[in-house]
Amino acid sequence: MGYGDYQCMDENGIREDGRKADEMRPVEIECGVVPVADGSAYIKWGKNEAIAAVYGPMEAHPRKIQRQDRAILDVRYNMAPFSTSDRIRPGFNRRSREISKVTRDALESVVDLELYPRSKIRVEIEIICAEAGTRCCGITAASVALADAGIPMSDMVVSVAAGKCNGIVLMDLNKPEDNYGEADLPMGILPMTDELVFLQMDGDLSMEEFQLAWDYNMKAAHEVHAIMVEALQKRYGGES
Amino acid sequence: MSVPIIPALLRQSLAELAADGERLDGREKFAGRDIEIEIDCLGNAEGSCRVRMGDTIVLAGVKFQIMTPYPDRPTQGGLMTSAEIRPVCGPNWEPGPPSEESIEMGRVVDRGIRESGCIDTNELCILPGEKAWQVILDLFAVSDDGNLFDAFALAAIAALRTATVPAERFDVGEDYKLGVSGTPIMCSYQKVGGRFVYDATKREELGGDERIHITLGDEGHVHSLQKGLRGIFTADEFSEIMDAAQTRCAELREIIHKLEESQ
Repeated sequence: MGYGDYQCMDENGIREDGRKADEMRPVEIECGVVPVADGSAYIKWGKNEAIAAVYGPMEAHPRKIQRQDRAILDVRYNMAPFSTSDRIRPGFNRRSREISKVTRDALESVVDLELYPRSKIRVEIEIICAEAGTRCCGITAASVALADAGIPMSDMVVSVAAGKCNGIVLMDLNKPEDNYGEADLPMGILPMTDELVFLQMDGDLSMEEFQLAWDYNMKAAHEVHAIMVEALQKRYGGES
Repeated sequence: MSVPIIPALLRQSLAELAADGERLDGREKFAGRDIEIEIDCLGNAEGSCRVRMGDTIVLAGVKFQIMTPYPDRPTQGGLMTSAEIRPVCGPNWEPGPPSEESIEMGRVVDRGIRESGCIDTNELCILPGEKAWQVILDLFAVSDDGNLFDAFALAAIAALRTATVPAERFDVGEDYKLGVSGTPIMCSYQKVGGRFVYDATKREELGGDERIHITLGDEGHVHSLQKGLRGIFTADEFSEIMDAAQTRCAELREIIHKLEESQ
């Protein structure tokens, strides 16, 4: 994809939506938004909006999906038909299946699954308004929903993405930057240890650019983590 | 939806409560739960509404597509309603192709709106025989604590009434408000413990019998009826809930109109 006519940054280094290169879109999180769920979270991330709900642990059926030694996570990522400018036909597609899988792989890395043999924990992620970066939005919301459900975890996964547009490394691409961009690097970070449980990348980055994008992500993950903790404290009180 | 095993005990306690004229949450039999309605809540939809009734929360989103009119109706566009009940909204909803329940909900909501005639499909025509607007109404459950039907219907009509036709984006003129000339409202009653109650919660639904959905238009005319689930009801029972529906539909219509004025 070429640069086209799109200019992502003005001469003062300010992006179209007023952000600097290393700045995130504003993130808001609220817990307990699905009253009938065991745990839930709503996230607004720029213009992205997602709802995550957690049900379980519950019996895993049919029995052939059970694991004798641990629980399984049943993760679904879905975009609501009205979440984009052209309506999305309901139902799973290859994209949502892949995102469901990488989300499951990320979350299974932190949830203490061995506590619940033969059971399953359902994690539902619904994107109700999409801008760009919905997978990060979904993984982050799902982590908060799991914590809200009281599921033991070694850490919450914070997912953020840096990318590149007009040859400039930018944190958290918005829609036009993503459309005209040259690279995207979403990561799932454990803020307590700075370890990773999720990593994807597409596009073209030099080693220097890659390092810069990586560093932007690490910094942003800690900012988002603070917002996640704040949302949980707001619901349950207490110190982090 | 898979049905959990509690209902035998639940049915018994619901029957005992009904004998004393009571309900699980202390409501009168024809009293509804508190309602919150928010219009224009979805950034990428051309019309949207979020409705909360107790712990039931739903979204309605209106999108537009350009369609070729049907050969026998060359000047008419169309309305398509689809209810998606994704497993996010409750422990007993399962993933997979649309369930019977969700298809019924989509169709009953659609009928109430369509049959009231509040959307003139001729006004959706762009170029006779070639291009017309298809209005797509997507209903989405966030949290199911019973009576998704009424929540969907309320969100649906509010979203349609405040929708904008995105003509500029499709290069066919300037954006304009979708013309919706009426406000059809649905009220649903479920037989719980041997008598009908309005706005049943999930527990009342699980331990209840048949349900009846009534959609009334602005003049109090009936536009759609649906009886669902197993059960027998009398003409007297029906006439009692029809009277109750007349009052309740008028109240809800008033709420929608007030909300639109304040926008």
